[in-house]
Amino acid sequence: MVSGSHTVARNRPQRPLESWKQIAAYLDCSERTVRRWEAREGLPIHRREHHKQDKVFAYPHELDSWRRGRTRTPSTPAPTPEPQIHGYLLEHAAITATMHYYIEGARAGDSSLMRPAFHPAATISGYCQGIEYIGSIQLVFDWIDGNGSAPDLKPRFARIEIIESIALVHLEVHGWSGRNAGANAHYSDVFTLLKIDGEWKITHKLFHSHVS
Amino acid sequence: MFAGMNAASYSNEYDSIVAAMQGYIEGSRQGRSELMRSAFHPGASFIGYAGGELRQGTQFLFDWIDGNGPAPDIRPRFTSVDILDTIAVVRLEVEGWSGKLAGSGVRMSDLFTLLKTENGWKIVQKAFHWHAAIERE
Repeated sequence: MVSGSHTVARNRPQRPLESWKQIAAYLDCSERTVRRWEAREGLPIHRREHHKQDKVFAYPHELDSWRRGRTRTPSTPAPTPEPQIHGYLLEHAAITATMHYYIEGARAGDSSLMRPAFHPAATISGYCQGIEYIGSIQLVFDWIDGNGSAPDLKPRFARIEIIESIALVHLEVHGWSGRNAGANAHYSDVFTLLKIDGEWKITHKLFHSHVS
Repeated sequence: MFAGMNAASYSNEYDSIVAAMQGYIEGSRQGRSELMRSAFHPGASFIGYAGGELRQGTQFLFDWIDGNGPAPDIRPRFTSVDILDTIAVVRLEVEGWSGKLAGSGVRMSDLFTLLKTENGWKIVQKAFHWHAAIERE
């Protein structure tokens, strides 16, 4: 028997899902997957203005529509370029996919999201607030986790240069925020990558912090 | 050249960077790592495939240079020198590598990243690609 209240609820305009957790529950997947789908596959996530925190929401009908239009399986990490595309563009796509792990981790303040982008022996060099950082990439992971989310991050690929098994990516990143970054900070990053067993991995991150 | 820098300051920084790189080039030419060590930051890193194997650490590089011996015919070209305040990237194309470890007529592409420190510009990483000629040896 269908109760009257149930009927009313079904006909009422759907309320937005108000957190990563609610969105993940609605899509029956992990929060990390939701973030990845947003970054990679255009999952329609909205953000509240004037919130320091990573305040997101989503409309169920938009998620339904996205899900209907999505043809790839959930485990597919990135769009696969057509095989006839020029070799440079294939490498370019693979490098960009690697870099998105970094960007997602930076945005979410979660180093576990960016670790797949890095070679285990990767290193970092640069100055932040007058302090010289030279050493293991763990310094970056610790900084990211301590910083927390940076929802307004705006990364721009200024340059991608590929020389056979090595590559250089110059990323200009505006809109950094968080406990370590402060507000609306600007970083220039130069990543060196190495193609190891067919996969592009970051081996070095060189950075410059622009003081506003 | 990255934006945000006037031509005079770019030229000054360029000269300092190229001077640091000359240490690397001379050390390579003579097969003497002591000539290049001061160009590198003490915490510099090195990673890449040499002879088909993944090699790490600047000590591997220095040992390799010493073990290779002279490479008198190297022809280095600075194909780009990009500078952004405290950081820089140099792409060096080197033809004519020879020596006990390099073989002969080998070409290498290098990407050096540099940091402007209190002691001047220092290499903080060297990435490289050996072109296929290494297979000849």
